[in-house]
Amino acid sequence: MGRIEFHQVTKRFDNGMEALKALSVSFDEGSMCFLTGHSGAGKSTFLKLLLRLAIPTRGQILINGVNIVQLAQRRLPYYRQGIGAVFQDHHLLAHRTVYENVALPLRVAGMRERDLARRVRAALSRVGLLEKERLYPRHLSTGEQQRVGIARAVVNRPRILIADEPTGNLDPALSQDIMRLFEQFNEVGTTVIVASHDLALIRSMGKRIIELHNGELRHDSLVASVADAAAGGGDT
Amino acid sequence: MKSPARRKTRQADPWGRRGFRNPAIWLTDHAMVARDSLAFVSGRLGTSVVVWLLVGIALALPGGLYLLQANLGGMMADWEGRPGLTVYFEPGLAAERPRAVRDSLADDERVAGLQLTSAEEALTEFQRFSGISDALAHLDRNPLPASLRVTLAEGLPVETLDDLAEILTGREGVDDVSIERTWMERVQAMTEAVRRLGMLLALLFSVGAVLVTATSVRLAIEARLDELRVMKLVGATQAYMRRPFLYFGLYYGLGGALVGSMLISALLLFLEPPLARLMGSYGESLSISGLTPFFFAQLLLLGAALGVGGALLAARQRLTDLDVLGN
Repeated sequence: MGRIEFHQVTKRFDNGMEALKALSVSFDEGSMCFLTGHSGAGKSTFLKLLLRLAIPTRGQILINGVNIVQLAQRRLPYYRQGIGAVFQDHHLLAHRTVYENVALPLRVAGMRERDLARRVRAALSRVGLLEKERLYPRHLSTGEQQRVGIARAVVNRPRILIADEPTGNLDPALSQDIMRLFEQFNEVGTTVIVASHDLALIRSMGKRIIELHNGELRHDSLVASVADAAAGGGDT
Repeated sequence: MKSPARRKTRQADPWGRRGFRNPAIWLTDHAMVARDSLAFVSGRLGTSVVVWLLVGIALALPGGLYLLQANLGGMMADWEGRPGLTVYFEPGLAAERPRAVRDSLADDERVAGLQLTSAEEALTEFQRFSGISDALAHLDRNPLPASLRVTLAEGLPVETLDDLAEILTGREGVDDVSIERTWMERVQAMTEAVRRLGMLLALLFSVGAVLVTATSVRLAIEARLDELRVMKLVGATQAYMRRPFLYFGLYYGLGGALVGSMLISALLLFLEPPLARLMGSYGESLSISGLTPFFFAQLLLLGAALGVGGALLAARQRLTDLDVLGN
């Protein structure tokens, strides 16, 4: 799985507020995209819908052609095992070591201990924290904690990786490092969607940018570049 | 143009339920969870002891009553004075008539025993025990009647005696039929009352044990909400998230059953001497039975089932609607 399609997706909360309004957007398998917009624009709701932590009021969300809105409850865990998720506040377990935190998705998936250890060490190696596997999260810096969160998100080799403000608490240099990590995972074929309001940072990455405003699509750099190209082609 | 949303989406579901896991991995995972849960329960010993005591008391009361009822039932079966009736014949009746009545009952399945006492035997016995043998010797005729003691077969209700009495009353030469059932009815009524009380208490206290365990497990769930949220996020199934809490319930239930067993043993040790004295006054010896390894195994099984039941209840309530990321 890797291709994501939102078709006329609307999410209205119980208080009547519409977080997304008939949003239609798609992401090719193996692509990387930044989701931006002001606070309350609908970025987090978009990611929650993608993780099936919420259900849209209307519309379809297709992952490789399968509408996940209609996915039965008992299938959701297996669906989520195929998606890596990174969050601003890491969601690391304080009483478990770095190793155990990263191993959690594999344990949940029922992986053999020997394979699990190999995968965990590979993931920790990718984020440069192999030597800190026995430490607890409280012994790590904020940037290191975020990298543990990324290692946990990718340890299961997901086809889709999503991140919600992953650099929110980091300085510009660390933020660049984190973004480079995402880029590396994208280069091996993972579909990566990063929600961030740091426009300077995401522009520097030179990837597709989707801007949401009050739950609607305001700007899609991919559509704009296609339109520009079409306009340029027409001129010649 | 055909909308992409209308495309056929019926293709192989990549997120269907996985088949059975490798049993070795499954067992290893259970062993790990069992060990971690035991560490959690023993690490909060104060709370665990309270739960064990509460569950133990909840199991001890109906368990003790069950033993009491079983012993009363056994006592009735073993008692020499089985339920029965005595047929008194008319005084001066020829000896053939009582014998004929006795013989007519010999093949009756409701009858366990027949003991005929002739008028002469009754008089001899009376002379021996009454101490007025000299006075009786001056009587010109025997005033005592022949009698037939009929003992009811085991397992039959006392009401069967009424049927037998009705048949016998109409027989020729029968003067009176006396049913000796008062004490038996009392014991039977008491046994039945104890049985019903035991059932009622078992039901009420089982609900209590389930609720105590459920509350304790609910507290354990609340203490581990962060971990559960992350587990849900990375794709843990309900069964996987529930597993440690079922072990909590199991440990609480087993511990409670052990405490219950100890309480029942203590209760019986406490009650046995006065009960033995009471039975001794009726010429009977007391031996309380039922406190067997099988009974303890049943109690452990019941405790475990109630504990796991309580844990399931708590986990089902709390984990189903677990919020992740505050959605």
